[in-house]
Amino acid sequence: MKKLGIIVVLSIISFSTAMAQLVKVDQEVFGMDCAPCAYGLERGLKKMDGLQSVKVSLNDGKAYLKLAADNDLTLQKIQKEVKNNGFSARNAVVTLNGELVKKDNEWSISVNGETFKISSDTPDDILAKLKSGRIKLKGWVEDKEDDELNSKWNIRITEI
Amino acid sequence: MMALLKTYAQGHGPLYGLQTPTLAKGGVDFNAAAMSLATKDDQSFMLRYIWSYGVTEDLQLNITTPTMINRLSDSPRTRGNSNMPANGDIEASVWYRFFSNAFGVGKRFESTAILSVSTPTEDTRGGINVSNSIHGAISTGYASRTWYAWVGGGYQYYFEEADDQLGDLPYASLVIGYRPNIFMGDYPKPDWRVFVESLAEFPGASMNEGQISPIDQRGKKVMIGPSFLGLYGAWGISFGALFPVYQDVVQGPQERYRLSMNISYWL
Repeated sequence: MKKLGIIVVLSIISFSTAMAQLVKVDQEVFGMDCAPCAYGLERGLKKMDGLQSVKVSLNDGKAYLKLAADNDLTLQKIQKEVKNNGFSARNAVVTLNGELVKKDNEWSISVNGETFKISSDTPDDILAKLKSGRIKLKGWVEDKEDDELNSKWNIRITEI
Repeated sequence: MMALLKTYAQGHGPLYGLQTPTLAKGGVDFNAAAMSLATKDDQSFMLRYIWSYGVTEDLQLNITTPTMINRLSDSPRTRGNSNMPANGDIEASVWYRFFSNAFGVGKRFESTAILSVSTPTEDTRGGINVSNSIHGAISTGYASRTWYAWVGGGYQYYFEEADDQLGDLPYASLVIGYRPNIFMGDYPKPDWRVFVESLAEFPGASMNEGQISPIDQRGKKVMIGPSFLGLYGAWGISFGALFPVYQDVVQGPQERYRLSMNISYWL
């Protein structure tokens, strides 16, 4: 009976971890000016495992990605692919599922090894609604420079 | 004797002038080009093929081979493009995009350096024993969804061969491009743009049996013309012409025009 309890607890934890993932990413791409550029980027992104759909817009300068369930993609991997195509990956609008935690008076959420720290310029009404535990949120990830890709981001939540 | 022509083969820049874009990391590009150069007396035809590979997003390797259909008996010495030798040479080149600043949607400044080595497919050119050569160029440019501009310069040096040596070839190019609003449809719709290309060439004197060649075939030229580029998905087609607006040809043929058409496919 004790073993069964442990298995149940471990299953819940692993299920919770597995569900922490990116759901949707609208990635801003600078420097992309031509149809073959968009074609190459779209093809490169499609090669990544864990995508449900990809659409690249030259006029918007964006790659719109919908991610499959149980994907292990990260924003860093997506931005790396953009960079490999010779462009600059900048800001992104991200929708994600994960476990919201509060530590040292700061909210953050971890997804596939990446940490999204909740930005202090998130609207107060949204900040007031935050509580520890599972959450699905949408937010703005600012990235002014892409020279150093990293796994820590600041996210300004726009929707929960 | 060699025919000579030129085109670029990267596929999404100008046809004749130096440019800057490089392939994506791991990207492969194939180009097939048909080219012609007409003088007062004769006209050359050449097909040329280029394979390109992106080692990184900033470093690209290229190799190009020709199929000569008709060579000029007395050909002007020229180069003037970023990815192809002017003559029937086999050429391997490396492009390094050493500066890139993507600062907005569809907008970027970038600069690229080119280094290439060529080996001829004939023994003599214009009565001069022809050797291997090296070529270096640098270009910088601006690209956006509406306007494009590239400026660059290059230099080709031929090694000595059996007491002969073809003169060197400094050149420069300037290209302005524009995409009208009607071709602003978003990907994957077709994408067209037009360029005005200009090219200036200043070939040096050749050496014949260790002496400056008595037949001075140097011909300083400035050429200008339009080119058009259409892109759809993985395909690109470009075509255009150059016409001389200035020629200082002491001996040798006066040029009338250069024609070129290039088809690109990104694998």
